[in-house]
Amino acid sequence: MPDDYDKDVYPEPPRRTPVVDKQTNLPNPALILTQLFHYAVDVPVTTFRDFMDRMHDRNKLYYYHQKFRRVPELTECQMGDFLCYYEAEMQWRRDHKVDQEIVKVVQERLRACQQREGNSYEQNCAKELQQFAQVAKAYQSRYGDLGAYGSARKCLMKQKHRMLEEQNAA
Amino acid sequence: MVGMSVLRSAAAIAAKINPFKPGITKSGLLTRTVRERDKVAVRFGSHGKQMFVIKPTDYYDRRFLHLLKYYILLTGIPVAAIVAYVNIFIGEAELAEIPEGYVPEHWEYYKHPITRWIARTFYDPPEKDYEKMMALIQIEAEKADMRLTQLEVRKHMRHRGDGPWFHYETVDKTLIDNSIKSTPDN
Repeated sequence: MPDDYDKDVYPEPPRRTPVVDKQTNLPNPALILTQLFHYAVDVPVTTFRDFMDRMHDRNKLYYYHQKFRRVPELTECQMGDFLCYYEAEMQWRRDHKVDQEIVKVVQERLRACQQREGNSYEQNCAKELQQFAQVAKAYQSRYGDLGAYGSARKCLMKQKHRMLEEQNAA
Repeated sequence: MVGMSVLRSAAAIAAKINPFKPGITKSGLLTRTVRERDKVAVRFGSHGKQMFVIKPTDYYDRRFLHLLKYYILLTGIPVAAIVAYVNIFIGEAELAEIPEGYVPEHWEYYKHPITRWIARTFYDPPEKDYEKMMALIQIEAEKADMRLTQLEVRKHMRHRGDGPWFHYETVDKTLIDNSIKSTPDN
């Protein structure tokens, strides 16, 4: 089975299952349907999945997350050193992908929070909202309008313009 | 009866004269008369009278669909069987921390067993691709540098004239006849 999610980040709301207080002798159709679903669908699927897990446990395969060494950035490259440019560009692309995934994770948390809270999400999810606003603003200011052919060089130029504007504003 | 042929009109006239005589009428279809109208094929407990349904041919459509199913399933079923076998009996990889002092192979960074197999069998490791690209960049950078230096050298040699390039072969100095210019009054 896929491993469980982080319970702290996505907290479950408290269960509100009511206590069974049966006052008639008639059968409960909801109970009958849940039992039917359980035996017709849940049990076969669970046994099949357990069989699959036993098969998988025989010869386990593992996969890892690749760790890349840090190389000198574009600012630390000599002029005309195209190999340094290439390595810096590849590193920038990897960092760009990582930042995209970070934004996606924060977005997912906000979405889960909104789904949990329902109509009162604006006050209950204030932390997630603020975090997402911060992360989105940071992403926009760094990688925002680079376009489809964005490269490390264009990002650096954007940073330069940003710093110039800050200097002019100050 | 305008559109009918001569034979048909003759048979019709003969049928009109003697409708029940068996020798004169050709057949029920030609003469367009139904003999013994009261007998109809009725079978109780079945779908009623058998009808000869006239509809346009569905031979080509059915043939096309049959061939389509055949060619799709010809490779579809083996592929589905292989993928099902791999997913059920081999299973996807689990995420783990890289053990100390162990450098994973390049295919061990993928999850699905078929992706791992493709990366192992067909693809070069990404480090090799990186190095190949860096080699190309190095070659192109060296070529660009060489071209610039060549232009520089050309400029210098042309200007100074003391290098191996821009040598123009001239006639030997001793062969020049200086008698034309040897006296001032020529």
